[in-house]
Amino acid sequence: MKFCAVKQYFDDENNNNITSGASTTMIPLPNVESHPLAILITYCKKHLKIKANNADNKKETEKEMEQYEQELLKKVMPQELTELILAANYLNFKEALDFFCRAVASAIQNKSIEFVRKFFGLESDFELGEEEKLREEFAWSFEGVDED
Amino acid sequence: MEACMDFMNWLDLDMSEKLLMHLKDPSDLARVSSVSRSLRDFVIANGLFKQLCLRMFPQLSKVAHVMELNNCGVKEPVEVGSSHSMEWESLARDHRVYATLARVCTSFSLRDCISEAISASSTDNYPAETIDNTLLPAGIVSRRAYWSSKGQSNPAVPETLTYKLVSEFCVITEIYIRPFKAYFQRGSPIYSAKSVRFRMGHPKSPNDLGSHLLCDSLPSADDTFIWTYTSPEFPMAQESCLQKFRLPEPVLCIGGILQIELLGRVQTQEMDGLFYICISHVHVVGRCLSPAFVVENIQPSGTFVLKKDMRYKFHTQQSSPDNEAQEISDDQLQRRFRYLRNYLRNLNVIEIEEYEGEEEDVVEIEEYESGEEEYESGEEEDVEIEEYESGEEEDEA
Repeated sequence: MKFCAVKQYFDDENNNNITSGASTTMIPLPNVESHPLAILITYCKKHLKIKANNADNKKETEKEMEQYEQELLKKVMPQELTELILAANYLNFKEALDFFCRAVASAIQNKSIEFVRKFFGLESDFELGEEEKLREEFAWSFEGVDED
Repeated sequence: MEACMDFMNWLDLDMSEKLLMHLKDPSDLARVSSVSRSLRDFVIANGLFKQLCLRMFPQLSKVAHVMELNNCGVKEPVEVGSSHSMEWESLARDHRVYATLARVCTSFSLRDCISEAISASSTDNYPAETIDNTLLPAGIVSRRAYWSSKGQSNPAVPETLTYKLVSEFCVITEIYIRPFKAYFQRGSPIYSAKSVRFRMGHPKSPNDLGSHLLCDSLPSADDTFIWTYTSPEFPMAQESCLQKFRLPEPVLCIGGILQIELLGRVQTQEMDGLFYICISHVHVVGRCLSPAFVVENIQPSGTFVLKKDMRYKFHTQQSSPDNEAQEISDDQLQRRFRYLRNYLRNLNVIEIEEYEGEEEDVVEIEEYESGEEEYESGEEEDVEIEEYESGEEEDEA
């Protein structure tokens, strides 16, 4: 059970010996929208499937997972990544959380400050001249940056 | 769905930190810290640059504290203020120092990092087969251009070669070793070791080092140095080519001492039936972080103070760090030229005594003059060695 938050519900049920079954119990997930949840469920199923297929071969598992992750990233919009991270965090789904964080880090790799601002929806709150000073101090980090 | 949510406000602090920790390139983290004041403060407050450096170089866990030296090489005065502002100033200083450190550790040019030989665990014919011979330019192949251990009947007896690096603060990436092929002996045996391992560390007492340079053998190297890093074991080929041993990750050598452990002997000498190890060349490749960074007060426990010299501007185009490196290299060269001159004088003496060797020696002199030039450029030397070697064998025949 990868969705640790959900797992708790099942564990609680077992402890209470409810025989009516999990199928009738509603598990509230107020902070997760249906779209990211669907993606996370697919991701989880795929992960478990790949793991089962390559039971002993960890390297194969990793390789196949990487391939699947690349494919998945092509279908996901960068802005959706933020929702996915929040959902994975809420569900306490460690592997997905790691993956989407890595994906965001890749998305902003070697990108300009303006791009990063737009991506995260942040605005500069520097005082006049502060940003200039920083650009000078860290001039080495502004070389070879991708065009916007 | 809005394209521009205020992302950072949605994520809690743990998540934001987790996200930013996936940035591996110091330039990416530096740019992120320039996005907004709140992001910058977040990066500083959570010491993200320090964490990045620690992930790259776990050796930095031994930093007691950092200091910045200003334009006159004097420590920046710490402003007296509330404990909160002092704590913030300390975090901000860490941020500046570790950001620059991350940058230089990945961008300063690679170069030969050995300054001089300290000692070998044993030497067969001192001073003819001294460890200093391993620092001669790689192109030299000669009766006298190698180090030899003493003979042992037990092949499991290891040997060590200890060197001083160009600075007490270097990033080491790979080590090159060339075992010696005794072409003047029957069968041209190659006296390699079975495997090799590397240690890095610092002298127990800074004063010890001076008296031990160029000794026949250090009575107990273990008592003189403290090792803070030991590499995995690498198998060594029984071939007299320059063998490259690449460390699994670049390693920060704090203290400037590197030791090569030669494990297991494979070759006996026909004359006495004993196992020997002989090495003709060693060089260590890495980045010298001094004088931009300086380490001081290295304690027996391994903790040290890290100082950043603010006189250096750390732009890629800036030539001064490289110029400094060049000066150090000239100093090294001078020392080696002096050694070479003495070596040459010895060679002349040998020529008079061993008449049949004379022709070969003459060839050698010519070769290593050009070999000296080749050495500086680095890449071609492997090819040089092979061609030269086959020439030698033909002469023998």
